[in-house]
Amino acid sequence: MALEQQAEFLQQIPPFGLIDVSALRQAALSMDVIYLPTGVSVPLLASVSADNQQAEYKTPTFLYFVIKGVIAEESQGLVVGRYSIRGYFGERNVIQMQSAAARLKPKGMAHADSVFRVLEEAILYRMPGAVFLELFQENEAFQEYFNANIVDKLNAMHHAVQTTTSTEVMMDTVCSAPIQPLVIVSDSETLQSAIQKMVEHKTDACVVAPHGAISMGNQSRGGQADEVGYGIITSTDILKLIADEQTGLLLQDLASSGVANGPLLTVHEFDYLFNALLKMTRFQVDRLIVRSDTDLVGFLNLKDLMSLFANQSGLALLKVEQAQSVDDLHIVAQQIDQLVENLNRKGIKTHYIAKLVNELHRKMIHKLVELLLPEALQSEVCLMVMGSEGRAEQVVRTDQDNALMFSNELSKKAQEQLMIFSDSFTQAMIEIGFPTCPGKIMLSNAMWRQSVSQFSEKVRHWFDHPTRENFMYIAILCDAEVVYGHSEWLFAVKRTLQQRMADNPIFLRHFAKAVIQFETPVSFFGGLRTENNSGLESIDLKKGGIFPIVHGVRCYALEYKIEPTNTHWRIKALIDLGLFEESFGIELGETLNFLNTLRLESMLKQINQLDSGVVNFSEVTGDVRVVPNNYIDVSGLSHLQQDLLKQSLNVVEAFKRRVTKHFKLHEML
Amino acid sequence: MLAWLKRCLLTRQKQKLKKPAFDFIFTKSVPGSYVSFDCETTGLDPKKDRIISLSAIKIQKNQILTSQSLNVLIKQDDLIAPDSIVVHHIRNVDIVEKESSSVRLLTEKQALKEFLAFIKGSTLVGYYLEFDVAMVNQIIKPWLGVKLPNRQIEVSALYYDHIVRLTKRSGQPGFQQPNIDLTFDQILHTLKLPNLGQHDAFSDALMTALVFVKLQQDSL
Repeated sequence: MALEQQAEFLQQIPPFGLIDVSALRQAALSMDVIYLPTGVSVPLLASVSADNQQAEYKTPTFLYFVIKGVIAEESQGLVVGRYSIRGYFGERNVIQMQSAAARLKPKGMAHADSVFRVLEEAILYRMPGAVFLELFQENEAFQEYFNANIVDKLNAMHHAVQTTTSTEVMMDTVCSAPIQPLVIVSDSETLQSAIQKMVEHKTDACVVAPHGAISMGNQSRGGQADEVGYGIITSTDILKLIADEQTGLLLQDLASSGVANGPLLTVHEFDYLFNALLKMTRFQVDRLIVRSDTDLVGFLNLKDLMSLFANQSGLALLKVEQAQSVDDLHIVAQQIDQLVENLNRKGIKTHYIAKLVNELHRKMIHKLVELLLPEALQSEVCLMVMGSEGRAEQVVRTDQDNALMFSNELSKKAQEQLMIFSDSFTQAMIEIGFPTCPGKIMLSNAMWRQSVSQFSEKVRHWFDHPTRENFMYIAILCDAEVVYGHSEWLFAVKRTLQQRMADNPIFLRHFAKAVIQFETPVSFFGGLRTENNSGLESIDLKKGGIFPIVHGVRCYALEYKIEPTNTHWRIKALIDLGLFEESFGIELGETLNFLNTLRLESMLKQINQLDSGVVNFSEVTGDVRVVPNNYIDVSGLSHLQQDLLKQSLNVVEAFKRRVTKHFKLHEML
Repeated sequence: MLAWLKRCLLTRQKQKLKKPAFDFIFTKSVPGSYVSFDCETTGLDPKKDRIISLSAIKIQKNQILTSQSLNVLIKQDDLIAPDSIVVHHIRNVDIVEKESSSVRLLTEKQALKEFLAFIKGSTLVGYYLEFDVAMVNQIIKPWLGVKLPNRQIEVSALYYDHIVRLTKRSGQPGFQQPNIDLTFDQILHTLKLPNLGQHDAFSDALMTALVFVKLQQDSL
């Protein structure tokens, strides 16, 4: 019977799925179907008829579920929300009325600030408020959903996505992968006996432990995994040895032969496979040693890991190392894009995706330098990425911010070579798919290619001339990280920056002003404030939410000399320092994550539209890539997403108030 | 004059009513009060086929009061013919009352009694309503001596008028009759109404009600 469809309909709408089936069926039976033509407003209050006036406490409000059509929520003439299929609204009024009644206030006091208007003719289910309240009062989990804070809701959403899609191998733990048996030999043994043991255990590597560290055979070895004196021998080492005709070492003891390499690179057995992959990529190794809390457990091989990932797209991206040309890197970049889309679809938090992607981007840049930079100059430079790339927060390649420092003693001729390199580097980056930086903050611009002392001079100059532009440069440099070469140079420059900052405390307050420069697109009543861009109601996520968090956290980081550049790590450091209460820090981080996820989804959508030709190609001129913008279309969001967006922006608002207070910004205006 | 004639007819009908307890079926119709109704039957011949399930839903202006709908299954004396099971998907085993559902299993007379009490003087709304009314009359005529006296609105006719009006408005010349597809699915499609998919008495009555409500809005 189709009556059951109503219950099924409800069940698909979170959090109604939490309610047990029989109660849900009962609730479904109370629903009526309402048809409303375009333009009318949806009546939230039932007209109480004369004979009904006795029933004072019967809540005369309704909850609506959209079967078809679009409803806009308007507050003070602004559209603050949209509801389409499976969206629901009116629950706030019902809950408000209820709590107003509980406080024995007259019914009229519960303010209904929103008007719900039909944007596209609509068919709605209408549930009496009293029925909803009954569900609300009798099911704690259900009730909690409406009272829950944003962190819980976000976790619930990620959880929902992760459980509905197939499990993501990357998010599995290391111990779920095939692990090769561990062979440990003492460094007093010969290489030959080590090889014999490897053959015996059918493995291609073994751990070398300092003499005496092995007490009772192979397995019962206590202590720290990264201990000094430990090393590893792989079949590759043995092959090299034979190729070099150093077979004499075979019978020498391992301690003196120096065949083993250290230190050991390990991964915890309960760590994510994706972290193992990251570590292998970062250190360019083919295997990691798996450890438990107390012991070494075995080897995790890259090729086993790869076979797990085999049918997942984008895993060829580990081929960055094998890349021989710019074209090869271009292919890898495309695979990264594919990977981003897949990971996002699987509900992996954007923070993790960004971490993975940025690791790979840096790898690519590193490779690019190796390919293009003349060998003689390779030890004379320091190449850094800055801005969002430096913070490891860029997921979709929207621009490139990079700079080069070279040693103070570099000859004129070498500097000319560097110029040629820089031009070809920037060009190659564009080819690979990193769009040009609109502010020309790239190597090819001489301003961002200077000797270490020139660079420090530049930083001092910025401080003495605090223009809008120079503020931006300082912000970008704060987030810089070295990808290639002398990282100590950047460290020194950052020290200069921090010193100047400390000498001139008023500077930081001016610097922090940018946090409150854009208005948060949230209205006084907690609704969304949208801009109207060619008929679409949209919100600039970067200006409205992401930038204030990133910059605000950056200001705190500067003040407290926090080294990490990633906003999440900075927040973590601020929590550890006791500057942010833990709950606030987590909320802020999750909010940033959510906003970044929304932006990522919107960007992926824009890219797909571009690829499928929906977007007019006349906008795409020459080989300049059209960069996705920071706007999201609010009407395209689900009810839950809109709800979370509103809460997120309220968190942003609260953070802005905190920054204003901390840096005393109201005195500066 | 017409009103007088109608009254006379009604009075004559009333006199034929065998059971005075059912007097209420002649209640004067309330303006704006409609009931959409649909039945599933064992076949298409009102003379020999029986009603299996029946749903009726009240309509008030733009509100379809599904919460107050009447949904009944009717006990069958004979097994349902296989070829009709194919149409409505109600098998013999399905004619049982389920705890999970608000559908009740009643005898034919009990079901009809409830149906009449439910609709009272309301105007009936349906798709090929004539057939459903004939199925009901087939039971109540020998039993109560009268047929359903209620005013009836055929949604396919409303739809037809709607399309003709649209065609005229769009200014197409000539008196040529437009060729209008009156299948239920086509009507839903043209009116951009959701097809609830399942074809059972409740869904069909609900979708019919939606068609009616939308077309009413249109004629305002």
